[in-house]
Amino acid sequence: MPVINEDLEAELGYVTSPAEQQHIRNLWNEADPLMQDISVSLIKGDNNRVDQLTKEALEAGFSANTILDDGLIAGMAIVGVKFRDNLIFVPEVLVAARAMKAGMAHVEPILSESGIEPAGTVIMGTVKGDLHDIGKNLCIMMLSGAGFTVIDLGVDTSPEEFIEAVEENEAGVLGMSALLTTTMPNMGRTIDAFEEAEMREVVKIMVGGAPLSQEFADDMGADGYGKDAMSCVDLAKTFMRPDAELSISPVD
Amino acid sequence: MEPVNQEKYKKSLGKLESIFKSISDTVSEVSTWRCPYKNSEDGCTAKFSCRNQDRPGTVGKLYLCLGSDDLDYRSAWEPSN
Repeated sequence: MPVINEDLEAELGYVTSPAEQQHIRNLWNEADPLMQDISVSLIKGDNNRVDQLTKEALEAGFSANTILDDGLIAGMAIVGVKFRDNLIFVPEVLVAARAMKAGMAHVEPILSESGIEPAGTVIMGTVKGDLHDIGKNLCIMMLSGAGFTVIDLGVDTSPEEFIEAVEENEAGVLGMSALLTTTMPNMGRTIDAFEEAEMREVVKIMVGGAPLSQEFADDMGADGYGKDAMSCVDLAKTFMRPDAELSISPVD
Repeated sequence: MEPVNQEKYKKSLGKLESIFKSISDTVSEVSTWRCPYKNSEDGCTAKFSCRNQDRPGTVGKLYLCLGSDDLDYRSAWEPSN
């Protein structure tokens, strides 16, 4: 079945490498038109449409594997290419990720029914006094894509809110973000609050943000420092291992 | 409802991880020369104040970013408190 979705055909036009375009075209040539619709809606960041189409696809008998591969991931692949080629930027990537999440909301119960458990639960938030959310949101996108359940506490998060969320969700990992030098110390204050609440041993704490360093993370008593969005996934995976130890260095 | 093929699912996660790894690398590269809150239409998606925001002008409901990509955008971010 050829690519029959006009919008998708137009999106393929953004892929400048002929070999890459042919590779993606071949993938979509085998995809049902409904999967092509899901892909193009994800690329456009239309989360309501992705939500609706994914539901329709499942009702029509498409497997979760097919929807994931031919619809959601195929669309995200184009998002990655457009971002790499500077046709779109971080905000558009995050809007596409929100659309993917809308589709995954229908797929996740089937994963669970099939015996596939989440990789773990991670609490994410930007520390008190800091309204920057882009790094945190990128981490959430990547953690969700790696199969983690992520609870987003948003920005300006107090130590008490972090503690409450870890307790309520029995989370094994907490991720804190700060993008201002003035708010970085609030990471240390939050870690201190976990110690005072006698909860420091129940959760691994990772920190990240542009002004941070491994040295700063070590000084605060964090368990890990992520230098970029992907590092937080590697850290969280390491933390979920039964033999996880404290003070993990950044992943290269 | 057809159950999920676990092997296929693992491969799917691998594909997605590869896409996200590439996105993460691009974020690191692009953030050296462009504010990450600035969208492709030069609209500012930040939820905080920045001196580069053109308050009267908007892109949709967003402020227009007047920042030059030749300058360090971080210096224009204003503390939230």
